[in-house]
Amino acid sequence: MRNVVARLRSASRLCGVLLPAFCPIVLLAQGNYEIQVYGSDTVAPQTTMLELHSNFTVFGQRYLIDGVYPTYHQEHETLELTQGVNDWSEVGFYIFTSEQNGHGVQWVGDHIRPRVRVPTSWHWPVGVSLSTEIGYQRAVYSPDTWTWEIRPIVDKAVRRWYFALNPALERTWHGPDVHQGLGFAPAAKVSFDFTKVISAGVEYYADYGKLFYFDAFHQQQQQFFAAADLNVSPNWEINFGVGIGVTAATDHLIIKGIIGRRFSWHKASPIE
Amino acid sequence: MLSRREFAQCAAGGSAAWLASAQTEVLTPADYTIDIAPYSLDLSPHSAIETVAYNAQVPGPLIQLQEGKPVTIDVSNRTNSPEVVHWHGLFLSPEVDGAMEEGTPMIPPRGKARYTFTPRPAGFRWYHTHTFAGHNHNRAQYTGQHGFVFIAPRENPGRYDAEIFLALHDWKGHLLASDDGSMNPVYDVSTINGRVLGFGEPLQVKPNQRVLFHILNSSPTEVHWIALAGHSFEVIALDGNAVPSAETVPMLRLAPAERVCAIVRTNNPGVWVLAEVRKHIQAAGMGMVVEYAGQSGKPRWQQPESLDWDYTRFGSSEPVAPRDDGAIEIPLVFRSKFAGHGEMDHWTINGKSFPHTDTIVLHQGQRYRLLLKNESTDNHPVHLHRHVFELRRIAGVGTPRGVLKDTILVDANTEAHVEFTADDPGLTLFHCHQQDHMDMGFMMLFRYA
Repeated sequence: MRNVVARLRSASRLCGVLLPAFCPIVLLAQGNYEIQVYGSDTVAPQTTMLELHSNFTVFGQRYLIDGVYPTYHQEHETLELTQGVNDWSEVGFYIFTSEQNGHGVQWVGDHIRPRVRVPTSWHWPVGVSLSTEIGYQRAVYSPDTWTWEIRPIVDKAVRRWYFALNPALERTWHGPDVHQGLGFAPAAKVSFDFTKVISAGVEYYADYGKLFYFDAFHQQQQQFFAAADLNVSPNWEINFGVGIGVTAATDHLIIKGIIGRRFSWHKASPIE
Repeated sequence: MLSRREFAQCAAGGSAAWLASAQTEVLTPADYTIDIAPYSLDLSPHSAIETVAYNAQVPGPLIQLQEGKPVTIDVSNRTNSPEVVHWHGLFLSPEVDGAMEEGTPMIPPRGKARYTFTPRPAGFRWYHTHTFAGHNHNRAQYTGQHGFVFIAPRENPGRYDAEIFLALHDWKGHLLASDDGSMNPVYDVSTINGRVLGFGEPLQVKPNQRVLFHILNSSPTEVHWIALAGHSFEVIALDGNAVPSAETVPMLRLAPAERVCAIVRTNNPGVWVLAEVRKHIQAAGMGMVVEYAGQSGKPRWQQPESLDWDYTRFGSSEPVAPRDDGAIEIPLVFRSKFAGHGEMDHWTINGKSFPHTDTIVLHQGQRYRLLLKNESTDNHPVHLHRHVFELRRIAGVGTPRGVLKDTILVDANTEAHVEFTADDPGLTLFHCHQQDHMDMGFMMLFRYA
């Protein structure tokens, strides 16, 4: 297995409920608990992946609006546990937390994420997998408390280049956006292998609003991250980056980091 | 800067004159003819592969020669790509050895060539294509272009009742990301003599016999471990060269291009499985049924729990000679050069990739010691053309004398020492026998002063 540290995912989810455009205050749901574009690989069977996602919002929403905490100077720590089921599927589980002056360390919510992929024996020219994620987050962090996401994942490594695309669709099951229908929240990544250990590139996260009826641009969430991966070992995943939000509805500056470790639960045998 | 592919194209262009000459010679009948042609190989009842084969069979025809008796072999290339046939393990001149890097002319598409040589040394050799594959896993050694050569000695010291030739091969390769951070070939199907376990005819043996197995690993890239349930192997030769100490072992390890000759005593009647020891390779098909005469029932397999192989146990019990024995040392350092997580590694010998590797000058009659230092995380089955070498050190440990080979597996991050005498003038190729490694620069030449 290649030491892939390109498995990034966007959890940047927003309500898209805006005050009038002339008003500088934008109401958006909390997001940015797991900022990652997914690669198509799944965790191997009898193996557990433990990841810690740390994201700090340097410049974000400063105001408490409709009971939703501001994102400004919030530190999000997300623990992700992924268990490989077989050669083509895995299940992930998330614990989201937030830390902020005046609020302390708070539990935000949990998600569960089964994922299947096209087996390598099918010899597809690109890696393909499909993830679905269901979960709850507290209303003080997201007005939409119960949400569901389906995320197709396509990726391809070509010499020193790596490309990944996650055209995710989201649905609110409980909250203000329950009648919105499917939202379109794509993410993408392009990176270059500068060395065997260091890869770096650009990650893109967006939420366009309702599928086929996109929000106005300033109401959309649009983020670009300069990110790097350190491929130090097949057992480790290390990713970090700095992102800017280019619309009023996006947190303007975020620093993110991911550190992950694989644990194998079977004794390696030379005959296996 | 020439790649190996470009080097091959130049060599193919330069071969026209030789071929014209060769075609005029095709008046006298040849001792053997080989047709290189596309072939549909049924690997199993449910799996076939469109490949290229010799004389429409995999492995190609067994070529049995007499040591010292000249032979003529006509080869027709009925494919659309230049080809060449390498006579692996034979002491031949560079013009017919079968490596265009040494100067053997390529056979153009739809062209012919005649190889005339005097075969030596005696023993189990083989022949195979020696071309570039690159990213095409249905070319070069990824195809069915391999066959056995057996050169009978003038006086045959062998004592056996039956003789069986087996070729291990892997098919339907594709690149997959690996732990080392780069792409490596992996395979869907693995076979013995072109058939998966249970598809080919069982090997029929009689009880209380000495059956001599000649086993070749013709895989483009994979090392294989072979066991015969209920039996053991008495190894009598490695790479076709008799070993000083014939040891009995529970399993054989063969790196790509290696051969083992081993006697099996058929003293355990039943129906058994001869197969790859590692479960996933056996599941991919590498195995065959061995059936005693008059026996029936479900074939039995006894799964070993570990892998066991040691070159040194076949050496002489005489003490290792001191190092200051006049051999000139030639250090060769193997390293990988990262080319991206979506690409195969490139390879260097002493910091350079073929065709830019240094050509080392040999003096006839001189003894040389190759210090093979593998500073990579891959194992490398390295092969010296047109010569045989003696193992001297494996992974830092001195080896008993007398183990003669033409291919040795140098494990990752270890050093091996081998010695040879420069006794066959002419360009001599040295390379890793993994197709992907030799394609990506892991080759160099020796030349005689």
